Amino acid sequence: MQQFLNTALTGLTLGMVYAAFALALVLIWRSTRIVNFAQAPMAMVTTFVALVVIDAGHSYWLGFVAALLSGLVLGAFLERVVIRPVEGKAEINAVILTLGLFIVLHALAAVVFGNRYRSFPAPFGLEGITVGGTTIALNGFGIFTIVSVLVVMGLLVALFRFTDVGLRMRASAFNQEVARLLGVKVGAMLTLGWALASLVGSLAGLLIAGGGLVHPSYMDSVVVFGFVAAVLGGLDSPLGAVVGGLILGVSLSFVSGYVGSQLVALAALVILMLVLTLKPGGLFAQAAERRV
Amino acid sequence: MTRHIRGTGPLVATLAAALALTACGAGGRDSSDGEAAAADPGVTEDTVTIGGTFPLTGVAAPGYSEIPTGAQAYFDFVNEQGGVHGRQIDYIVKDDGYNPTNTSTVTNELVLKEEVFATVGSLGTPTQASVADYLNDEGVPQLMVSSGSLQWGDDVENRPMTFGWQPDYEIEGKIIGQWVAENMPDAKVGLFLQDDDLGEDAEKGVRQFVDDQIVAVERYTSGNTDVAPQISGLQAAKADLVLAFNTPSYTALSQLVALKTGYKPKWFYANIGSDPALVGSLLERFSEGAVAGSSSALDGVLTTEYIPGIDSPEDPWVQLWQKVWDEHGEGGELTNYRIYGMSQAYAFVQALEAAGEDLTREGLVEAIEEQGADWEGPQLAPFRYSADSHMGIAGVRVVELKGGKGEDLTDVLVTDIGEDAEITTDDSGQADDAPPESGVPTS
Repeated sequence: MQQFLNTALTGLTLGMVYAAFALALVLIWRSTRIVNFAQAPMAMVTTFVALVVIDAGHSYWLGFVAALLSGLVLGAFLERVVIRPVEGKAEINAVILTLGLFIVLHALAAVVFGNRYRSFPAPFGLEGITVGGTTIALNGFGIFTIVSVLVVMGLLVALFRFTDVGLRMRASAFNQEVARLLGVKVGAMLTLGWALASLVGSLAGLLIAGGGLVHPSYMDSVVVFGFVAAVLGGLDSPLGAVVGGLILGVSLSFVSGYVGSQLVALAALVILMLVLTLKPGGLFAQAAERRV
Repeated sequence: MTRHIRGTGPLVATLAAALALTACGAGGRDSSDGEAAAADPGVTEDTVTIGGTFPLTGVAAPGYSEIPTGAQAYFDFVNEQGGVHGRQIDYIVKDDGYNPTNTSTVTNELVLKEEVFATVGSLGTPTQASVADYLNDEGVPQLMVSSGSLQWGDDVENRPMTFGWQPDYEIEGKIIGQWVAENMPDAKVGLFLQDDDLGEDAEKGVRQFVDDQIVAVERYTSGNTDVAPQISGLQAAKADLVLAFNTPSYTALSQLVALKTGYKPKWFYANIGSDPALVGSLLERFSEGAVAGSSSALDGVLTTEYIPGIDSPEDPWVQLWQKVWDEHGEGGELTNYRIYGMSQAYAFVQALEAAGEDLTREGLVEAIEEQGADWEGPQLAPFRYSADSHMGIAGVRVVELKGGKGEDLTDVLVTDIGEDAEITTDDSGQADDAPPESGVPTS
């Protein structure tokens, strides 16, 4: 029973990190209609920024804020400088460009921050909570992870559904020409979309790093699972991303615990195939309208 | 039909001619020794060029990337004293990132472009396995592979050029198994294994002694950093002694998860994953919980030793390594991984000495097979090198970590692979020897 509970709980926490990562992908997709493969290394870079701040003797929270802010700046910067030149051309150009960024950021981080494993502190205790005499696999940091991802999801839903900016972002992603005609500053919206996505990605990076080990490729395993989670949810829906992340996190944890850890990656693909076969647009996709 | 018979005539003649030519060639080499030395790549009158591949970047880099820096420092030390038989040792290190595909590429470079005489100390089971056949086909000695897999030494016929160095995982598993059976017969044993040769070979050894004590076996896949499901499995089976065969990063990860799930068994990490300095540095930030500062991070953990390390600074070997590192090191502290590299380098220098002035690849292999078992060196137990076995160090000692130091629980125990080989106390005196005054082995 305890094993079942612990496996579920660790899966839940991990699923929330996948969800945060998937949220960032959803955000970029909704605001620019491209998939950002460089999301993981961007988050890795900002996590290292936090580590530098913390190493300099400042508090965890200062590092946390520094990482989020640098995420915001990095996202805006990359959109303006790297992505903007291919904006409006075939979408595949931008996607390939993000793949290139993936490699460049990796290499740069290894040069700047070093290639060894380093421990990353957590603001809360790492010992599991004791309930009725047994310790369950949920610690303060795990609760923090779950709460912060839920809050971010709520904020994103609110942004896209209830605010003017959100509407403009969706408009410029959906059809730049029309949006521009309607007076939307499309360029600014795209930059904002990247910046926000990068900020959420940084959060994912911080959440998976906390109380664990970081090195330039520590986010790589999250990339795959984050993508799967986002696609499960339909790439378009923040709620879908979170649900997708949770489904993936919990089921992979059970596969690892009860079947075998070598099957984890395979299981992720099986889940993805099942969902896409049964519901090709993802779990939360709205029915696509097509005019004939 | 007649055509066919007629056709074979020239073929036979050509074959015969080729054979004769080969025979002449061989004869020629035998008669003039000076030319024989020049015949093998990587060797000149005054240099011998060797290579090695290591993970200098990537997941396996922590710790392991320091091994070649230690070896390099020791080769510099030897070169400064005139080299071996007048030859300076030129050591070329390549990064393979612990990725077998890269290993093939960089090993190719070493063999074809750099024309190395041999590879020495190259690291990793999957990585070196990917080039073992290539190196043997090319006749390039693959010496002192930094891995405890059995495959470097148990199949001399198919891999005549490959030699192991460290104790293999099976004998380490056997010695650990026997120690547990004798000293903790009531323990409920859980195995935490890396899902490859490391875990497989070790399990084979351990099961010979504690098969009936094992209550759970959990395997993790290297690269998947979430080991919570595995640790939960051990906890659920109520294992109160965990025998762990994993790399150092996973020692840190398993300790973190155990902290999270409130699991407090007795831990027994195999040598490969138990370096207190490295694991401690990985865990140092998590001081809020039960995992304390760096040196005491693994307090009470059981492990094994086969060479003296930085925790025994009064050991004459460690004093030699300290001197070598101070004079030739590239900066930074002397670490156990650097000592590992130096100890390997020491054995290679012994091999060069033994191979004599006319250095050939075959001569080197022969020298190791004939004399390797008698070499004195930093290793606590002798090598098992012979014409039938290329297995490395024959045994380990069981220790308990206290404040970053290993306290001996047993003498040095030696054995060999297979169920028939008994575990005995080593009587070679290897553990008590000291290096020669000069710090360079003499033949």
